[in-house]
Formats: sequence, C-alpha cells, structure tokens
Amino acid sequence: MAANSASVENVDVKKKEIKSPSGLSVIGRELIKDKIALISLIFLILVVAFVYGISFVLDQEEIVKVDLFSIYEPPGEEFILGTDYGGRDVFGQLIIGTRNSLSIAFLVTIMTGLIGVVYGLLSGYFGGHVDNIMMRILDFFLILPFTMIVIAFVAIVPKYSIWTFSLIMTAFLWMGIARLIRSKALQEKELDYIHAAKTLGTSNLKIVFKHILPNVSSLIIVTMTLNLASNIGLESGLSFLGFGFPESTPSLGTLLSYARNPQTLEFRWWIWVPASLMILFLMLAVNNVGVALRRASDARQRRG
Amino acid sequence: MAEKLLEIKNLNTSFRIRDDYYAAVDDVSLTVNKNEVLAIVGESGCGKSALAFSIMGLHNRTKMEGEILFKGENIVNISPSKLNKLRGKSMGMIFQDPLTALNPLMIIGDQIGEALLLHNKELSKTKRKEKVIDLLNKVGIPRAEHVYEQFPHELSGGMRQRVVIATAIANEPELLIADEPTTALDVTIQSQILDLIKDLKEDMNSGVVLITHDLGVVAEMADRVAVMYAGQLVEIADVHTLFEEPLHPYTKSLFNSVPNANEEQEKLHVIQGIVPSLQNLPRTGCRFAARIPWIDASQHEEHPELHEVKPGHFVRCSCYKHFHFPEESKEEQHHGIS
Repeated sequence: MAANSASVENVDVKKKEIKSPSGLSVIGRELIKDKIALISLIFLILVVAFVYGISFVLDQEEIVKVDLFSIYEPPGEEFILGTDYGGRDVFGQLIIGTRNSLSIAFLVTIMTGLIGVVYGLLSGYFGGHVDNIMMRILDFFLILPFTMIVIAFVAIVPKYSIWTFSLIMTAFLWMGIARLIRSKALQEKELDYIHAAKTLGTSNLKIVFKHILPNVSSLIIVTMTLNLASNIGLESGLSFLGFGFPESTPSLGTLLSYARNPQTLEFRWWIWVPASLMILFLMLAVNNVGVALRRASDARQRRG
Repeated sequence: MAEKLLEIKNLNTSFRIRDDYYAAVDDVSLTVNKNEVLAIVGESGCGKSALAFSIMGLHNRTKMEGEILFKGENIVNISPSKLNKLRGKSMGMIFQDPLTALNPLMIIGDQIGEALLLHNKELSKTKRKEKVIDLLNKVGIPRAEHVYEQFPHELSGGMRQRVVIATAIANEPELLIADEPTTALDVTIQSQILDLIKDLKEDMNSGVVLITHDLGVVAEMADRVAVMYAGQLVEIADVHTLFEEPLHPYTKSLFNSVPNANEEQEKLHVIQGIVPSLQNLPRTGCRFAARIPWIDASQHEEHPELHEVKPGHFVRCSCYKHFHFPEESKEEQHHGIS
C-alpha cells in the first residue's frame, strides 16, 4: 500500500515537471543529435574567443609594419606562419584579419537584420498602398549594381574603416530579409489573434512589435545566421578583388589576394592557404549551425 | 423602454474585388439594447461575420457607409486612436476559433493582462495579476494561478475559449460581440460556454450580439433574432415570435432544414442552390427568389423593403405571403386529384 501511494506521488511529481520544451532546449537537443552542427558551433565559439581574445594583446600597427629584413620567410620559430612580401607576420595578420572579417560580417548581419525586419514587418502589416510604395523602393535598391557601386565608393571614400565598409554593404544587403519578413507578416496579420489584439484596443505599432515580431523570431534568427555565413564570404570576395580594405587593415580577403601573385600562389603557400581554410571553415561552420537552427524552428524537420 | 446601446443605421460594408466594390453587408439597420442578446442567424457567407467585423472596425480596405451609433456616438470611420479607446474597454469580441485567437507565444496571464494594461495604466503589476486570476476564476478555469503561466498550446479547446472570453470581458464591456463562439467546440463544452456568456451578460448588464448558424443556440440564448441572407436582414423578431411564427421564406426554410428526431424522414430538407457569391449577387429584386424558383416572380417585390408585420416583427419582401414548400403544393395537387 505504502509503496503504491509513494509511486503515485512520484507520478504526480513527474507530471508537474513535464513542461513543454523551451526554445533553447529544443536547439540544444537538435545540436546533440546533429554532431556536425555541434562541432561547428564549438569551432565557432573557439575561433571567436581566440581571435577576439588575442587581438587584445596583438597590436595591429605592429603587425602591419614593413620589415625588409624578413621578407617571405617560410614558417619557422620566429614566425609561426612565415611572412609576406613586406616581412609582415602572416599569423598575426590571420588573427587580426579573421577578427576584422568577422566584425564586418557581424555588423552587416545585425544592421541588415534590423533594417530588413522593421521594414518588412511594417510593409507587410500595413499592406495596401504603404506596402506597394515600400516594395517599389525596395525594388529600386535591388536593381542597383552592388559591385559597381562598392568600387565607386572605394574610390570616393578617403578613409576606409570597418564601419564605413559595413554601412556600404548594409545599404545593399537588407532587401532579402525585408522581403522574407514581409511575406511572413502578411500571413501572420490575417490570423485571429491579431484581430483579437485589435479588439482589445492594442495600437498598430504595439501589434507589430509585440505580437507579430515574436512570432516571426525563429525565421529571423535562422535567416540572420545563414546571412552571416554569406557575409563572411562576400567581404572576403570584395577584398580579394581589391575593393575591400587596404593592406594596413588586414582581413581574410586581403591575405587571400596575395595569391594573385603567381609566385606566391605556387611557392609560398603559407601566406594564402591558412586564410582560405579559415574562410572555408568559418562559412561551413556558420552554415551548419544555421541549418540546425532552421530544423529546430520547424517541428516537422527536427531530429532531436 | 429598454436602453439603446448600439444602433446601426443603413450600414453598407463593401469589399473591393479588383476595381469594384461589392457590398457584403447591405443596408443593415438594427438595434441592440442593454441586457439583451441579439442573435444574428444565417448561412455561411451571408455577411454575419462581416457585420461583426464592421462593428469592431476590424476591416481593412473596405468601404463603410451608414452609421453605427454606440451609445449615440457614430463609430464608422472614426480615427484609430478613438476606436482603440472604445475597443477592449466598451466593446469586446469573442472569436470563433479559440485555437487561433490567442497569441501562441504569450502566456495566458499576459494576454488577458494586455487588455487591462491598455485601458488602465495605473493598475500595478500585482493588482493586475490578481485581477487576471479573478477573471480566470470567473470564466471557470480551475487552477487559475497555474494556467496564468501557461502557453495557449498547453490548454484544451474549451479552456482556450474561456481564456478568449476572459480577455474579451476583462474591462467589463457594455457590448459583447460573440462571433460563433461555440462552433469549434464539442456539444458539452458548448452549453457551458453559452451559460457562461449568459451569466456574464447578467452580471455586467451588457448587450450581446451573438452570431451563429445554430438555431439551437439561438433558442437557448437570444432575446431577439435577426435573420440575414446575402448581406441583408430578411426578418427581425423576438425569439418566441420567430420560432412560433416564422414568416420569411428563408427563415421557414432554415427551420425546415433542422433535422427532427421525432419524425422519420428519409431525406433531410435542404434549401435549393447556394448563397450567390458576392459578385453575382442580384442587386435588385428579392435575393432569395432564385432559391425558391417555384414561387412565381410576380409575388416578389421589385425593391423589397422591411415591412413591420407586427410591432417589433419585420419581414423583407412580400413573397412571404404566398410562400409554400414544394412538397406541400404537391400534396395539395394530390388531394385535388383524388
């Protein structure tokens, strides 16, 4: 009898503990099931911590100083990854470069995210003429030749910093997420709970940011993660073509652009291979995490 | 004389389809008094919900003409901020589908609390929580403190509908619009919810507009009934008169369509045809004529008006005087031959 009642109590206690899983625990379970995504996440955290941690100690000015006595030194004891044609430490440039590239990617992703989400939500929610006008403005941005304008900007803007570069990229990259969020907002605003919120006397802006925004948040997180990966690649690509940063501000792209010299490409692998691998692994890792997040946000695709 | 709470005068609500406007609510006039349940009955697509949405001002991009007087003040096309002061405070709405009428990402407490917060900014957080739990108890939710912290998906349909009702009555509105509040619920929960709405009405002395297609619900709840067909009111009467002595062919057909357990029937009665779509609606003549083709066209009015047959009993079009069901006429003929 006693044992019986005890077990009944146990069951009761268990029942209380069962709560529907929160967002974080769903993501956690998804990551545990998807080992590649988990490894990617750990890799990302390590790289970010390492790169930002070390760049506190490293001095960018010191690293980009030209030292004519140690040109093109192969990897050795003094320089872990050798030096480039200016005698500059490649390892140091790799660290600083990764930091710069990541900073730009983060900045661009966050800024495009902010603009895109607000723009898309307002356009989708208010609909009608507002939507029409806002979408035509968006179309205008969409047809501007991105690369050409960036090249022109590089020529015009005298002092190039991470901020100016991010702003230029943001100006041409917010449209995708805005369209995505708009379509979701169009869907969401027809649901009854929005009508219900209106019947309570909730104002439009409050409905947009308090009711619709949380309901599209999973989409925002996933899209921004995947955008992060493509932004890393985009920055590197522009720098590689010579439209990114000057050599005084190393980024993964500038390191990669040394490979345009056939001699470097063939005989001095230490200058460009680490940066290429860094780009490759960073993009892959971010992508893997993004895909895992996307699965977590959709119950039908979940593995965990 | 009962106090008028809501008075609708010649309301037209038109939807835009391509470049033209089509009236989904066509020249509707009615009144709702305090402490009264007015039921609006009709088939799917006849404009019941469009009427409810018009009263609450929920339509986007529609043309609204006429007057909706709420306590004497016209609320058609008033500014959103003025409307927002009324909505939730003086007017509440209960939605049809409790599964979608709650924000899936907000806990129950916050959803009900939002209504309180919007119209009473001084209320402190703890007071608000107390009031929400009071409301949850009022609508008969057990373990209210526990439910306060839960998300909508953790509750059953009946519970959710109670939460929707609690949200609607949070500020004790004088006018409560219930848009098919029981359609999505099973029968046992239905009667509980209806009783609840009735009790709340008595408590708050408010007027209720009950939209439904369920005649059982009407019989149980309503004081007066307005029958709607194709955007127009075709008959208004108090509930006893309407059930005992329906006049308009459409009302009669509706009652005839309800299956009767006491009679053995081989076939259920159906009304011929379907409700014409908004674009194909005949704009002149009796709109129901196409569905009772055995009635001679000369019996219909050219511009059907509402006629007051008895005090408080209105019927549209004169065709009701000559209406009979086709089976009846067959029987008559049969008798005639034998």
